[in-house]
Amino acid sequence: MRFNDAVIGVVLMLVAAAIVLYAQTFPAFPGQDYGPSLFPTVIGCALFIASAILVVRGIVTRRGAGWAYFAPWTREPHHVVSFALVLLALVLYILVSDDAGFLLSSFVILLTLFVWLGVRWPLALVVAVATTLVIDWFFGGLMRVPLPRGILNLIS
Amino acid sequence: MMKRRTFLASAAAASAVAGLGLRPAGAQAQWPTRPITMICPWGAGGGTDATARIVASLLEKELGQPVNVVNRTGGSGVVGHSAIATAAPDGYTIGMITVETNMMHWQGLTDLTYASYTPLALMNADPPGVQVRADSPYKTVKDLAEAIRANPGKFKASGTGQGGIWHLALAGWLQAMGLKPDAVAWVPSNGAAPAMQDLAAGGVDIVTCSVPEAKAMLDAGKARSLAVMAPQRNPAFPDIPTLKEAMGIDWTVAAWRGIAGPKGLPQLVVEKTIPLLKKIYDSKEFKEFMTNRGFGMVWAPGEEFARFMAEDDAKMGKVMKAVGIAKS
Amino acid sequence: MDAVATAFGLILDPYVLMVMGLAAVFGIFVGSIPGLTATMATALLVPVTFFMEPVPALAAIVTTTAMAIFAGDIPGALLRIPGTPASAAYTDESFAMTKKGQAELNLGTNLVFSALGGLVGTIVLITAAPALAELALNFSSFEYFWLACLGLTCAVFIAAEEPLKAIISLLIGLFVATIGIDPAAGFPRFTFGIVDLMGGVSFIPAMIGMFAVSEVLRGVVNLQGIGRPTQERIGNIFRGIGPVCARYWKNFVRGSVIGTLVGALPGAGADIAAWISYAVSKRFSKQPEKFGTGHIEGVVDATSANNSSLGSAWIPALVFGIPGDSITAIVIGVLYMKGMNPGPTVFLQNPQFIYAVFISFILANLLMVPLGWLAIKSSKQILNVPRNLLLPIILMFCIVGSFAITNSAYGIVIMLVAGVLGYLMEENGFPVAPAILGLVLGEMLEQNFMTSMIKSEGSFIAFFQRPIAGVLGVVTLAIWGLMIWRGLRRTQPVPQ
Repeated sequence: MRFNDAVIGVVLMLVAAAIVLYAQTFPAFPGQDYGPSLFPTVIGCALFIASAILVVRGIVTRRGAGWAYFAPWTREPHHVVSFALVLLALVLYILVSDDAGFLLSSFVILLTLFVWLGVRWPLALVVAVATTLVIDWFFGGLMRVPLPRGILNLIS
Repeated sequence: MMKRRTFLASAAAASAVAGLGLRPAGAQAQWPTRPITMICPWGAGGGTDATARIVASLLEKELGQPVNVVNRTGGSGVVGHSAIATAAPDGYTIGMITVETNMMHWQGLTDLTYASYTPLALMNADPPGVQVRADSPYKTVKDLAEAIRANPGKFKASGTGQGGIWHLALAGWLQAMGLKPDAVAWVPSNGAAPAMQDLAAGGVDIVTCSVPEAKAMLDAGKARSLAVMAPQRNPAFPDIPTLKEAMGIDWTVAAWRGIAGPKGLPQLVVEKTIPLLKKIYDSKEFKEFMTNRGFGMVWAPGEEFARFMAEDDAKMGKVMKAVGIAKS
Repeated sequence: MDAVATAFGLILDPYVLMVMGLAAVFGIFVGSIPGLTATMATALLVPVTFFMEPVPALAAIVTTTAMAIFAGDIPGALLRIPGTPASAAYTDESFAMTKKGQAELNLGTNLVFSALGGLVGTIVLITAAPALAELALNFSSFEYFWLACLGLTCAVFIAAEEPLKAIISLLIGLFVATIGIDPAAGFPRFTFGIVDLMGGVSFIPAMIGMFAVSEVLRGVVNLQGIGRPTQERIGNIFRGIGPVCARYWKNFVRGSVIGTLVGALPGAGADIAAWISYAVSKRFSKQPEKFGTGHIEGVVDATSANNSSLGSAWIPALVFGIPGDSITAIVIGVLYMKGMNPGPTVFLQNPQFIYAVFISFILANLLMVPLGWLAIKSSKQILNVPRNLLLPIILMFCIVGSFAITNSAYGIVIMLVAGVLGYLMEENGFPVAPAILGLVLGEMLEQNFMTSMIKSEGSFIAFFQRPIAGVLGVVTLAIWGLMIWRGLRRTQPVPQ
């Protein structure tokens, strides 16, 4: 997922323009020339200029190379799934951990990732359980981080 | 025979469902049966956090279940207050709400008002003082007031962010003197400690934070407190007069803290908690802690707390409109 | 002198020594796990210290924080995950050394110079507290504005091979820092009515995402390629330290001095001290081209700086009750609870307690060497764990660590977004460190600029009128001018 600098530059220019335009809707500070819009505007303008330079540089140095380049691993389905699985695990945890609780979410995510990455089943099971319990003890017990209880609420 | 078995099975299933799904309703008879979360809308180490933690540790002893303080910080208190108000009203999430409850909605930051909570007990209120630099020519609050009257716009004050409680304290005082709220320019700061530092560094002229917050600088001989905006003097600082005594002005305000839950807390939880909080309020540990930190102790349970918040809300709204930061 | 003798008696009590030992182990664990910071560890100690005498209570905090700031270097070097924000500045450098097979030298250097830096900070705290506190008290918003500007300049020094991309990365960080309620007017910006966004983007989950999650993403698609990327084992970490001391003792002195000064300033702590000293090291190095390729020089500066800032952060806290960093903000609360109200009088009323704090600082830094050695010895096992087992475990620690900062799933959302962004940035040659720096300094920069403008009623001259601000301002502008001039001269003769 490597892009030519010009492609990134154009995307960043659009983002910068959106920041600057949106910042103009912020109200003024009572009795002051400089309000909440000042910093986003300055940062947005600077980003716009820097991205424009990037675009020029990208076009100048392209010399016939592609606009985007995909690393070799992207052509191997197993690797693509590994990559997606990490992101999916995070999204899943964000969505369900409150209801399912930390213990269940952590165990399922760890086990899935272990098995997919080629850890043998018995070892994967043991390590997933052990890691989950250690984290729960250290973060939840000792450090008093309020890890979601989820299904535990139904039991006790 | 077959029929009977199905009946038994469905009965078992039904009772299982009742046992799981309907547990919250049934469990109220014996609240609490699992750990309780106490949300603190301000960061670890601050005054609100310290107060929440002592109340939680004492409540834990009374209830026999862990009471965990959880800091949900940011957004001038909006994040934590929202977390308290929108939690499930099952008695397992309560929180420490602060004076910002009555300020954020005027600013248009949230729709939540004091009516979005089930008030349990008001436990603390700290009135602001008027602090100046130690080498300031103004020895009394009257001198300072005259100087402000003579030079509107010349003085600069700090203590909180724009529209924060100490800003409103200053604005209300100026209004009570018959001046415009912007007769003293407000310099927003990231809390009382940086403001007191800026006072010593010569960046601002007045800081209207609470006297306990200014104590270290007062002791260090870097600053002087001229008056407190309270009905009575603070017993820990008996030499500082009230505004009423010093200049006959009837303006009092306070940053307060109290325990509350989301709206619609079960009656049983309310009835069980308020007497426990009273017991904590009267305990030696709590008193010692509050005196050590110089925090003011105030008690108002349930309905009284609600009435207090309603009055305070109206007062805040009035000042915030005058300052021009209220949206509605 | 009586008070000093009493203080030694208070500290050399078996109970106090046991508390310090436990606190040290606790600090090492907290520091080496990403998402658990020295500040959090201190906050957690508060309820525990509530039931302790003042001396063990304060000694526990001192020991925990000193150990945590050092221990943050260990996962930084071994896994490229800074354990605490204070290690972020030189995490890439340390990891590059590990990849070159120099993990021993790196960790040994981190350990020895953390301890030495900590001792320098302590000595300054003992000898110069009142004088330095007076100096720090002169810093108002004007001075802090220039300080933040100087800090931003570091971003370009740190990643000089691609200045344009470093600047873009910095701007992205600065923009993200504007999300949330603005520091002057209290107006919610870029929040789209989402309550969590009003609290802004906390930088620790962002840092975990950019460093650790992006590393996990790279790792899972490259399990075989790298296999065991590093050396087989960690041998004697103290080998090679002698020559490093001989060669870079000036860096150690400079890093400690910078760390001490930055630490004494309220509102700037160990993380900023590390960034600034690392950038200064590169700027004045005879071999700046080696920085970033696994070169020990900058690590000496930065690892000395972050530990030395810990001690000096107590200076404004003890003398004026003004926190020098987020840790001492909590310490002040503990002091009040123990009846030791901060202020100059604390030295007169309770001198034995203050001396006890000094002694526990010295003891903690001495204790760091053997305990740190043990920690490094045992953490080397990480390098032997197969990566298909290690990466998911790291991911789970990142999840819980980010959650712990906001106490909600919002922290994990920040981490996820920052992780994907960081991955894309690094793939395309954008360094992530400047973005983190922008996120750290963004609010400080804006808050102090707006406050200054309100104070000066819109006049820019005021930024140069106060003596310290004037000097800082001229220095900053001179550095910027020099950078632009050099940049132009360098790019002109070599058309790309």
